[in-house]
Formats: sequence, C-alpha cells, structure tokens
Amino acid sequence: MFSRILSRVGLLAALSLAFIMAGCSKEEMTVRQSTLDPKGPVAQVQFDVFMDTVWLVVVLFALVGGMLVYAVIKFRSRPGDEDKPVIVEDGHGNPLIEIGLITASIGALVIIAIPTLSAIWYTDDVPAAAVPTSKLSAWYPRVEGTRENYAQTVEEQVLEVDVIGKQWWFRFEYPQLGMTNDAKHSVPNELVIPKGKAVRINLRSEDVIHSFWVPKIAGKVDLMPGRKNHMWIQADQTGHYYGQCAEFCGDSHAYMLFRVEVLEPADFAKWVQKQKADAAPVAAGSAAEKGKALFAAKSCVMCHNVGGHFGAGAFGPDLTHVASRKSLAGAWLDNRDVAKQRALEQSTGNTENSVPVDEAKLKANLIKWIGSSGVAHGADGKLSKDVKPGNRMHYYKMFNVAGLRETNQQFTAEELDHLAEYLLTLK
Amino acid sequence: MSHDSHHAPVACKTELAPERSDLGLYRPDRATGWTDWLTTVDHKKIGILYGAFAMLYFLIGGVEALAIRTQLARPDNDFVTARMYNQLFTMHGTTMIFLGVMPLSAAFFNFLVPLQVGARDVAFPRLNAFSLWTFVFGAFVLNASWLFEFGHLAGWFDSFAWHKALVYTDFAPANGWFSYAPLSGTFGANGQALRFTGVGTDFWIIGIQVLGIASLAASFNFICTIINMRAKGMTMMRLPVFTWMALVTSVLIILAFPAITVALIELMFDRAFGANFFNPSAGGQPVLWQHLFWIFGHPEVYILVLPAMGIVSEVLPTFSGKSLFGYPIIVFSGAVIGFLGFAVWSHHMFTTGLGPVPTAAFSLLTMAIAVPTGVKIFNWLGTIWGGRIRFTPPMVLALGFIWMFMCGGFSGVMHSSAPADSQQQDSYFVIAHFHYVLLGGVLLGLMAGLYFWFPKIFGRMPNAPVAYLGSALVILGFNLAFGPMHYLGLAGQPRRTHTYHAGNGWETWNYVATIGAYILGIGVVIVFGNLVWTAFRGKKCGSDPWDGRTLEWSLPSPVPEYNFAQAPVVATRDAFFEHKHGAKKIGLENDGGEAGVHMPSQSWMPMVASAGFLFIGFGMPMMAMGIPHAGWLVISGLGVLFLGIWLWALEGPGGYMLKTPAPSGAPAPAETVAH
Repeated sequence: MFSRILSRVGLLAALSLAFIMAGCSKEEMTVRQSTLDPKGPVAQVQFDVFMDTVWLVVVLFALVGGMLVYAVIKFRSRPGDEDKPVIVEDGHGNPLIEIGLITASIGALVIIAIPTLSAIWYTDDVPAAAVPTSKLSAWYPRVEGTRENYAQTVEEQVLEVDVIGKQWWFRFEYPQLGMTNDAKHSVPNELVIPKGKAVRINLRSEDVIHSFWVPKIAGKVDLMPGRKNHMWIQADQTGHYYGQCAEFCGDSHAYMLFRVEVLEPADFAKWVQKQKADAAPVAAGSAAEKGKALFAAKSCVMCHNVGGHFGAGAFGPDLTHVASRKSLAGAWLDNRDVAKQRALEQSTGNTENSVPVDEAKLKANLIKWIGSSGVAHGADGKLSKDVKPGNRMHYYKMFNVAGLRETNQQFTAEELDHLAEYLLTLK
Repeated sequence: MSHDSHHAPVACKTELAPERSDLGLYRPDRATGWTDWLTTVDHKKIGILYGAFAMLYFLIGGVEALAIRTQLARPDNDFVTARMYNQLFTMHGTTMIFLGVMPLSAAFFNFLVPLQVGARDVAFPRLNAFSLWTFVFGAFVLNASWLFEFGHLAGWFDSFAWHKALVYTDFAPANGWFSYAPLSGTFGANGQALRFTGVGTDFWIIGIQVLGIASLAASFNFICTIINMRAKGMTMMRLPVFTWMALVTSVLIILAFPAITVALIELMFDRAFGANFFNPSAGGQPVLWQHLFWIFGHPEVYILVLPAMGIVSEVLPTFSGKSLFGYPIIVFSGAVIGFLGFAVWSHHMFTTGLGPVPTAAFSLLTMAIAVPTGVKIFNWLGTIWGGRIRFTPPMVLALGFIWMFMCGGFSGVMHSSAPADSQQQDSYFVIAHFHYVLLGGVLLGLMAGLYFWFPKIFGRMPNAPVAYLGSALVILGFNLAFGPMHYLGLAGQPRRTHTYHAGNGWETWNYVATIGAYILGIGVVIVFGNLVWTAFRGKKCGSDPWDGRTLEWSLPSPVPEYNFAQAPVVATRDAFFEHKHGAKKIGLENDGGEAGVHMPSQSWMPMVASAGFLFIGFGMPMMAMGIPHAGWLVISGLGVLFLGIWLWALEGPGGYMLKTPAPSGAPAPAETVAH
C-alpha cells in the first residue's frame, strides 16, 4: 500500500516539476526586475556565478535525493520482517565512506568557490580594463558650456555618480559634471547613465540604511549612513530600467523605487546640458503663473529647488525638470499610460522599451501626490489617502518642523490644479 | 548550620501537607490544580508548559503570517496599512523564532534531557521554573505591544497629554526581527536622541532582553545537567544524540546571547539616554549593530536547527530498526556546526560594503559550513540504508524534514557565493531559503519529535490518519507557499515591502503563495489540534510503543514524577534497545533506597522573581511613551525581582521523600512515607 502512495507522490513531484518548467517562459525570466536577464557585465558575472551554484546544486540534489528515494523504497519494511532477527550492532558507521563523502563535498564546494572569488574582485570596483574606453575623455563630447566643473584631473576618470538615499527616495548627483545638490543640479529618482560605459557609484545615506538595486544591471550594495560605500555598473543596452530600495527603511519602504535610463553616450551629453538649464519663465496671466505664486506661498519653496525660479530648497527633490520624468513620488506613481506600456512590453518582449510621459497622467499624479496632504476638495471633508505614509512632505514632525499634513495645510481643487499646471511647465 | 539540620525539613516531612520553608513561607509541595502548575519544579511539567506556550505563539505567529500573505495576494492591495504590515512581519519573525521554535526546543530539552541521561530532574529545578516564567513574561511583554497598538488605533489614548506629545505613534515594533540601527536607533546631534520609530522598538528591546535571560538561565541548567547528572556508564560518547544537540545548543546560547544583550543595552542607551553607539550623525556606527546582531543571529540559526537535527537523529534509527550511522561523526559535525556558526555571521552583511577580502573570507567559511551539514544528511541516509523502515507519523515527518532541510541547505549554498547573494539578499529568494530551513526543516523536525514522544509524555497515542492528513497538508501547503518565492526573489521582489505594482510579473506567484500559506495553516492546525486532542482524549498506549532505543522508553508512560525509581547503569549506546534485544542489560544502581526518593519542594519564588520582569517590561516602554510616573513601575519591578530572588535564596532546600517503588515490575504508586 505504501509503495502505491510513494509512486503517486513521485508522479505528483514529476508533474509539479513539469509545471514549474512550463512556468519558465521567457516572459517570466525577463520581467522588469529580473535577476535572470542581465544587461550589463556586473549583473552578467553575478548571474554566471549563480548559475554555477544552480548546476552544482541540481546535480547534488539529484544524487542525494535519488539515494534518499531509493533507500526509502528499497528498505521499507515488508510483511514478514517481524520474524527476522532484530538488527543489533554496536558498529557505528564506516570511516572510509565518511571521509570519502567529506572529501567529495569539499571538492564540490571548490567548484563554486573559484568563480565566486574572481567575481568578488571583479564586481568590487571598475576593472582597469574598462577604464580606457570608459574614461570621460574617451567618450564625453567637448560641448561648450557643459564642462565648467570638468577639471583636467577628471579626464582620466570614469563617470562617477553619487547616490544619496533618503526616506523614501533617491537623489543622484554627478560631481564631475557640476551636477550636485549644492550646485542646485541634482536628479531625483531617475538615474541616467551612458550605454556601454563603466560608471562608478558612490553610495551615501542621509538617514537610515537603504540599498541600491537595479537587478538587470547589478546586484545591490547598501547605502550606510556615516560610511562610504561604492560599486560600479555598466549597461550594455539602452532603455528604461527598474530598481528598488532593498533594505527595510521604515513605513514607506515599499514605495522607495527608482528608475535607470540608459542613453547613447551622445544623448547623455545632451541630457546633461538640458539638466543644467534653468526652467523656462511661465507665461503671464496663465494658470501656471498662479501655481508659481502658490509654490512660494504654500512653502513648497522651502524644500524644493526650481532652477531659475526658486533657489532656497535643498531638502526635497529638485523639481527643475519634474515634468520630463516618467515617474513621481519615489517612482511609485507612473507618469506613463500603464496600459500602453504593458502593451509595448508584451509586443516587443522587452521591458526596457518605454512609452513617453503622458501629460494627463502626470497632472493627475501631481494632484494626487500633493493633495494627499489632506485637501479640502473632498465632499466629506475627510483626509485623502496617503500616497506614501510618513513621507517628509506631509509628515516632518521629527525635526520639530511640521509637514503639510501636520500643519493641516489646505489646498482647494483649484489651487492644486494651478500648482500642477505650474509643475507641468518644468520640462 | 550542621549537615543534619540542613536536611531537617526532609526528614520531618511526614504527611501530605504544605511545607513551610526556613522563613515559615508556604511551599506548595504536592499541590494539585493551578497551584501545582504555577509552582512546579518538575522538569516534565515545565516542559509541557513550555510546549503549550510555544504552540500558542505558533498560532499567533501563524495568524500574523496569514495576514501578511493576504495583503500580498494581490498587487496594490490595502488589506492592512504599510505600518501594520511592517509590524506584522516584525512580530511574525520575532514570535516564530523567540516564542515558537526556541521554547518548543526548550520543551523537548526539559522533558527529555533528564530522562535520556538517567536523572531524576535537571540540576537546578527552581532555576528551571524561573526560566519558564521569565520566558512567559517576556513573551507577554513583547505581545503587549499589540495591545497598545490596538488601543491607539481604537483611539483610547487620544485624550491623554502624553499621547498628543508623541512624534511617532507606532506601538508595536516595526523594524524587522533584526531591527537594524539607525532605523531602530537615533539620529541628530550628540545627546539629541531623535528617533525614527516609536515605542514599539522599546517593547522589542526589553522583550528580547528578558527572553535572553530565560534562555541563558535554561542553558546553564542543561549544561550542568548533561555534564554532571548522567547515569553511571553514560559516557559522553554514549549520550543519545538529541541530548548531545541539546548540549551544543546550550553552549551556543551561552556564547551567542551576550552579543545581543550588549547590542540591546547599547540600543536602549541610545534611545533612552542619548548615547551614540549607532547614531551616525554623532559618530556612531550603524554597522556595529549588524555585527553584534549577526554574531548572535547566525549561531541563533543553529540554536533553532540543532535540536530538530537531534530529534531526527533519534527518530530515524528507531523506525529504521538500526542504530544511527556514524554516531561519532554526527556528534562531531554538530559541534563543528556550532563552532563554525560563529565564523559566518558576516554573510548576512555581504551587501554592506565590507570590502573584497572579508567578503571572500566569509563566503568561503559559509561554504565550509555546508560540509558538516552535508555529513549529517549523508549519515541519516546511511541510517535508513539497510534498515527496515516502518512508516509512522514521526518517521514521515522526519523524512520530510530531511527533504525540506536539504532544499533549504542547497539554496543556502547559493547564498554563500557573495556575488550571487548580492542579487538574492533581502529578496524573496532569501525568504524562501530560510523558511525551507526553519519551517520545512525545523518545524517538521519538531513536529516529528512531538508525534514521537507524545506517547511518552501523556501515555496516549496520537491518531495516525489525522496526523498523516495534517502532515500532507503542511508539506503540500509549505511547498506551494515558499517554492514560488525562489522565483519571486529572482524576479526582483524585495522582502519587507507591503505591496507592489501590477506589471512587475509578480502577481501570479504571489497569489499561488498565498493559497499555499492557507493550506499550510490548515495543516498546522490539524497537526497541533490532533496533539491537543490526544493529550486529553487520545487512546492509551504502552510505555514503549515504537520499540525505542534510549532510556526514556524504559519508563512507564506517563513518566512518574521521580523518573527513575533506581538510577540506571548504562553499558552501551542505545541502552534500552540493547537491553531488550542484545546482551548488554541496563543495571540498577543500589542506592540503599529504603528511605525513598528525595523530591524537591515546589516554590512560588521563581515565578515571583520573574514577575519583576513583567513590571520592568511594561515600565520601560511606558517611560518612552512619556506616561507620567512610569519610572516607578520599573523600579518596583526591580524590587520584585530582588525580593523574589532573596526569598528564593532563604526559603531553604526543602524537599520530601516518596516511597521507593517495588524493585521489579511496575513501580508501586507513589506515597509519602513517614520517618
């Protein structure tokens, strides 16, 4: 009877294995944050080491698991066993078998230890071999007006990006290119890097521990407050990549996402130029002009920088080009048409393809995000639902400075519309 | 005080009446009902209490887990809020580790170690009771944070001034079970002690601290018992493997808990008094917390798993009808695992920027620990090889343990490679890995132990078909819940995120995992429910239903309160099996036992002393809440603790005699004898 049960269990196991194998479709292996679809050398090396461990483990599993199944079936008690003499033995084991198995285990581990060691050093910092093609002088074009902070000593370096983690968003700075928060040229939440070039990432945190993870480009490294961590990345295919904070960092940890945009090197240089340009003046008498006034009146200006308009804010994300970005609020709100994006991904089989920003969606997101401070436009007078619980725009009490919600900052629907119209001009 | 007068209470005890201690205090010897359970110093009753509380907390932790899975079943779900979710996973992890698995292991240690070494009790019976009640009160403090949280959500505290003054209103801990600083700690300039989290963290700190005291006290007790109270002839290399693993685990606890104790004290000082151990803005080092935590936390993993390995090493030989293959090397590999367990902690920190050399070193050491672990699996395989396998609920669960533990071990080998781990760390792949080890492994092992020894504990046999049904559901649901998480992690889903957008490709398998979790929940309820039913109503069985191998099976079921009427003399491993089927019989020590069996007096004092921790545990977080005069609660708690210990010290040795049962055949009913 038991062998019948066992054979059924075996059948079930085989079926579920087939089921799992069937599940291994290409689509499932290449989802947005898949670690199984490396698009750069760092992720590739990490993937290769992972596959080494997978093959080793599969072989071991088949061997040990097979032995176990065999032993359980072969040595099950059978009718009539009761009459046989009891096995009484004081011998405990067989030294030859033991030593053999221990040696074999150590040998198996050496197989994965060697690629592991080489990958640890390879992924630690930009390899010397990558410098000649990746150093700034090799690819960054000499465009007038973009190299004022691009010192001679930097020519031989690869591009460096400072990643600063905060509850709950990322700030990206390019110190070699004069794009820092101090210089009022930082980039929130959407990191832009050139294709095929090694980039050194310096990881810093301003509050708790965060972790920088873009699975298709590189495994994660933590942002430790009070500590200077680094990593390097390189993406060999242009497109829109998805990343996420991977270390629990408080209430809204799940909302701390970010994106990486990989551009052709020439496009990257143009992008830098655009980032460093000030915002265009708003048209007189427009809704945007009223919004601009509200931006100052409602204390947005205290935390947010808008190049050419307001220069006081340094704590919150730089909004000079907010309308050009595909995401908002720590990349939790997507400024694209999600249905179109899904359709594009499915038709091309590539999640790195992206539809452009949808202005209507962006505006709705801006109103939703700012308005979640508890607006007056709800008919029942209730506070609107938090987009990001605990976010510092709405909740800031811990520094004895009150956030919008804590000071019960009210916005009418019209005010929100004006603010959004203003922000929409910041391309 | 002369030797005679020291033992006076024993000799004077002549009837079934409450004993008075040296101070004239009441000692409820041979009490019945509640008083008996609250004042017991009998290792078997303490073991049963440990087990009962552990099952209760398994249930609570399981409900928390199901709430987590319900929230994650669908993208953009709002079954619970972000904060509630964070509190749920924090309390789920903390509960399962400190209030579920550890106490259930302690239940086995308590019940079995004295029986397996041929002793009448543990070395320090009252200290044992103190461990139990300290655990109970520590667990209560930790879970009381939920009461405050629900009170807060219900608005009970809204009118109080202290509540209005709170910056953070999270009352249940929400930092994850390893509570990384500085999220759990402070920031801001020297002495400012601004915090990122509310008093939930303070509940967590004091709760874990108290639980640590319970674990430490218990471990000293077990080490003393195993080293000093073995029966004649029970050499170390004749100890049952379960007892060996209890010894290794106890040593691990004693070496590992001081690290977390120090870390918790430092964190408490940071939060309460503005110290700067982990505050980066005042020069503190958050990474220090991680080192201190994981040099406790990794051995903790082996503290959880070694007892289950010990259980499986008892169950497999019994039902294979064959002695354990490679006994010395199984014992040795257990000890090596314990030793190496202290050398791999930084593999939890591969992504913190240790630098290539430490990363490489910890990578290799982590791979090395796979060797003694593999040795155990090979030897279990060797044990059933050539045997006659009888399928019983404990055997099926033990085989399930080997499978699931093996899977968890294999994904562990994958993590040991730091570059691969940088993609897996803090993803669902890790969740899958440690649930395969701790749930598929440890919980199945503990369940095997429960079904194996329940007939010994209660003299009743659990219903086998129900046990098979429950076990099948557990194994099926478990694999359905945690198997897909391997994929989810590789597909980039980070752990500890309360929700996710549709479009990342995580929807289907999260849904499947939730279904699996519910099946698992039903299975666990059936497995545990069957046991509870058995304890009260199960079919009575004989003293040796499995053809057992170790000393406990030579005793009647349930075991009499003095365990061994006459101390056994052991001549071999698997002493009872050899006694039944071989040439080497168990001898009986002639202790001139006409005077009877000397039993220890029961006592209120261990519980009184531990109750002090209840006051302290409530007082510290209430101070952090800013509740006026809460500090007095802490001070009175210290008072109660010292009073309890003082009276405990002064109440005298106590003790009474039970009549020795007839030397052969069934033991006579225990009676108090006159002198």
